[in-house]
Amino acid sequence: MIELSEMQRDALGELFNIGVGRAANSLSMIVREEVELSAPSVSLVHPKDVASTLLGSDLRELSMVTIDFAGPFDAQTILLFPERNALAIVSHMLDPDMTPEEMSEFEQEAMCEVGNIILNACISSLADEFQVEFEGGLPEHHFSDSDGLPLFGEDRGQVILLLQIQLGMRQERMQGHLLFLLSVSSMQALLDCVDQYLERLGMG
Amino acid sequence: MDPEFSAQLIDHLQVGVIQLDGEGRITSWNTWVARHSGLSTTEAAGKRLEEVFPGIQASRLPASIEQALRFRLSSMLAPGLNASILPLYNKKADRALDQRMQQLIYVTPIRHPQCACLIQVQDMTATVRRERRLRAQSSKLIATTYRDALTGVGNRRRFDHDLSQLFLAAQNEQKPLALLMIDVDDFKAYNDRFGHPKGDECLVMVARALQEGLRQKADRVSRYGGEEFGLPLPDTDLEMACVIAERLRQRVNGLKIPHPASRTGGHVTVSIGVSAMVPRLDQPADILVAQSDLALYTAKDHGRNTSVYFEPESNELRSCS
Repeated sequence: MIELSEMQRDALGELFNIGVGRAANSLSMIVREEVELSAPSVSLVHPKDVASTLLGSDLRELSMVTIDFAGPFDAQTILLFPERNALAIVSHMLDPDMTPEEMSEFEQEAMCEVGNIILNACISSLADEFQVEFEGGLPEHHFSDSDGLPLFGEDRGQVILLLQIQLGMRQERMQGHLLFLLSVSSMQALLDCVDQYLERLGMG
Repeated sequence: MDPEFSAQLIDHLQVGVIQLDGEGRITSWNTWVARHSGLSTTEAAGKRLEEVFPGIQASRLPASIEQALRFRLSSMLAPGLNASILPLYNKKADRALDQRMQQLIYVTPIRHPQCACLIQVQDMTATVRRERRLRAQSSKLIATTYRDALTGVGNRRRFDHDLSQLFLAAQNEQKPLALLMIDVDDFKAYNDRFGHPKGDECLVMVARALQEGLRQKADRVSRYGGEEFGLPLPDTDLEMACVIAERLRQRVNGLKIPHPASRTGGHVTVSIGVSAMVPRLDQPADILVAQSDLALYTAKDHGRNTSVYFEPESNELRSCS
């Protein structure tokens, strides 16, 4: 079983925070207000434990944006927010009077773009610091309940890098999660990148 | 596929296709883009997109192109979050009025010597218009589901919704929120004497008097149940809430709706319970309702046609007048 060393965890945490920091800037530009984003924790979990880890944080109805990335390691990335939080984010951006029932395709597109901005920012920050190249697809948005999560637990060969995401906008704080689904070999490749990065910094 | 055929296919698409080289210069765009921008592909070729359309500088599009060229990442730009980015128009008249097409833009990297980045533009104008129309209709429907059919003021659902929203806001901003619970005195006796249709009329008049007696449009009376109304007042302390309660009580008193069976003096009156607090983060909104209810019962006990407030420091109930 792969585990993260303290050093690797800190490095990833730092890199992702650079990424979400950039995403916050892009989002601020769109809403013309300050948006705060941080990724306070990084952990490695196994698919079978994901549901319970997430369920602990009141995720039942989920909004998720996924993007597939290919490169030195391949990852399916998922930005997960409880539907309520997703709605709060989008309604802050589009229309404060919106109710959940009104959440239409239009808002789904907006959510898709928010996810796109955050996920791309994270990956480009990794690409920058690891000095590697990825190829990223277009984002997709789904609603799902946590029972119906088809993504987890099916492929026993996968590991999941789980990041908590905090989004703050107009005095409200919203919590979500960022998931990187990786095969074991991709996870190993990611950790190799982290080690090389640490070595370049003279910390390996 | 032979290049001539590909070019023809792309030109027939009902989608904008813009191709950029590795330096971000336009190599070509299709007939759709030429038609809606008014610029031919030869006029644009060799230039960067922001040279052709300087207005896009302020948008997220240049950064998205940069991400595609530098990191090979894809982006989408939704019409909801990005006001029509490119100066594309459906009709000539739209151009004169600067009414741009609503756009959904996809930016994707491509691996080919001639094209490093593909930009697709979809016309979302009709979708956005339909979306707005549906939103307007649904707002109307929502207004209906939140209105009390008899009196025209908010219903219980409205009250619960308003109170929880205002309570949350008061918690977050640490500002006071007041709540008035208003009950028509001896209403059962009124109904017994004049019948239910007259009782309904009486409620309509009282509701109207209450709603018209408010400070601002945003303050909203709702029918809490039977002959009881609720009125949450944001950014209002206990003192101000008492002043408002007294004014509303006197307004109803001033209607002089005859009520011979009333124990308060021959016409329709109300009793009002008042409470206010700066809610702590761990308090539920029910507290405010419970305190106002308690004050309302006390007002009834004190002979009706009066306002009573709950004093949270001493837990005492005192008259507003």
